[in-house]
Amino acid sequence: MYLQLAIRNLGRTKVRSALAIVGIIIGVTAITSIGIFGENLKHIVLESFGDIANEVIILPNFKEGYKIIDEKTIEIVKKSPYSSQVIPVKTSSEEIRFRDKKRVATVYGMDERAVMTLFEAENGTISLKAGRCVIGKVLADALGVKVGSKISVDNHIYRISAILKKEGARFDITPNSALIISEKAHKSNYTMVIVKLKNLDEIEPFKDFIEKTVNLKKEKVDVIEMKRILDRINKAFNQVNLFLMAIAGISLLVAGVSILNIMLMSTIERTKEIGVMRAIGAQKTTILKIFLLEALMLGVGGSIVGSLLSIAGGYLITKLIIGRAVSIFSITTLFYIFGGFFFGIITSVLSGLYPAWKASNLEPIEALRYE
Amino acid sequence: MKVVVFENVSKVYRTKYYEVRALDEINLEVRRGEFLAIMGPSGSGKSTMLNLIGCLDKPTKGEIYIKGNPISGLSDSELTDLRRDTIGFVFQQYNLISTLTTLENVELPMIFSRRNSEERRKKAEKLLKLVGIEEVADRKPFEISGGQQQRVAIARAMANDPEILLCDEPTGNLDTNSGLQIMEILRNLNRRGVTIILVTHNESLKEFADRVVRLRDGRIVDVSSVSH
Repeated sequence: MYLQLAIRNLGRTKVRSALAIVGIIIGVTAITSIGIFGENLKHIVLESFGDIANEVIILPNFKEGYKIIDEKTIEIVKKSPYSSQVIPVKTSSEEIRFRDKKRVATVYGMDERAVMTLFEAENGTISLKAGRCVIGKVLADALGVKVGSKISVDNHIYRISAILKKEGARFDITPNSALIISEKAHKSNYTMVIVKLKNLDEIEPFKDFIEKTVNLKKEKVDVIEMKRILDRINKAFNQVNLFLMAIAGISLLVAGVSILNIMLMSTIERTKEIGVMRAIGAQKTTILKIFLLEALMLGVGGSIVGSLLSIAGGYLITKLIIGRAVSIFSITTLFYIFGGFFFGIITSVLSGLYPAWKASNLEPIEALRYE
Repeated sequence: MKVVVFENVSKVYRTKYYEVRALDEINLEVRRGEFLAIMGPSGSGKSTMLNLIGCLDKPTKGEIYIKGNPISGLSDSELTDLRRDTIGFVFQQYNLISTLTTLENVELPMIFSRRNSEERRKKAEKLLKLVGIEEVADRKPFEISGGQQQRVAIARAMANDPEILLCDEPTGNLDTNSGLQIMEILRNLNRRGVTIILVTHNESLKEFADRVVRLRDGRIVDVSSVSH
């Protein structure tokens, strides 16, 4: 009966109730759509980092003045029980010439199998044997080289065996504007070791292992965890997303104020009715319930429609800004939809709280006298 | 048995600029099953007295006893329970809830006393039949006449079987014929044992009462029995 009463009370001011619902719809749609968009953006960015969470990078401890990683350290790392693959990397900056073109680029010295593990060839077949090299897509385009072209690096001639596919952002090595030659051909020292661990649980034991071996006497190397970097990115995206949602939340706040206004007007208009109900036996809590139920219904109505619209809204924003929507029907998206739904309801009920309290605390005699 | 007792009751309304003594040292006893008419000119304190009996207001001084229990110490919630279970209200303006049908209006006090829906519906239908308007059960208040609305108000007032029915100018907005019909209904309820306290300034209605209390300037100036 209270529900029927609430429905009919909202029905007697149809336009006003409809406008309040529209406010909630806009607020819920805005918050949820932006949440979905942010989630998609995060998903797409993290996706480009690939499966590197179980990777750690060992770098010389620059703070202590170390600039290279010695062979002994690499041998110790290779013997670690936690690593599934160890990729030592030599790095230098060289002038690369092709015909009349020249570019200064990073030259990596790596094991051929490691290159095959980490990268894919767009053209040609990856090979670093007998004076061969692979080149990043951006550098290849800049120099105008093709598979089979001969280039000069520090007065040594290398034949290009493959042009690598363009890579997304990476934290270890960035091959797009680089050249990769074999470890043996590279004359510099090791500057980095990429270690793939058997699983995520091995990160801490591996760090302990390095501390007790390589860094036992002097802090020679730093161990950088990819997982921690990814976690930070994830956290940063979540914060940005929360900020965007908070901005969108202003529209929901406005909707809440509109409900507050409507309910306050309703309280004034129904003062005598409240007095009658109190006179014939309605407790304060009953009046509170009736008014809160009305606010709840506005919230539920607006939130249901808003949540449904936000699926389309989230998809459209993502499609328009990023170009593709990857996780519209994921668990996280559902979380945002339900989150928006409940947030809409909570806003409505909170907005109805003061008018409901005011209505329930009217003195019956004063309310009955109200004209 | 006395259902309502006024013991030196005064009610003073104070504002920033003036003070109005609406009731002054009232002493009155109302017996169970009595039909009491409170009469007097406008501003004599009739409605204030009715509001005090109905626990809608509290006296400034003195004590009111309902069924032997003093009401001054009762909480808001206890006063609401007392109104719901013991007292029925019939207002001059009917005061029906416009969004509810007549049947639902009659059901309303029973909802507040948490009776189940089937019981409520049966009782409401029975009460509408008792006041002779069962045919308008599904209509909204604005779809029926003033006399019918007042009958609905009486049916609503009787929903929780109150011992006391408070009627504030129940015929004030009705034509003579409709007014007489309402008074007949009240008389029938009184014959069934309901104590009726009627506030009116209509002299012709005193014939329905057992006793008439006359007020002037907040004081009882006359109490007389009516011979039928």
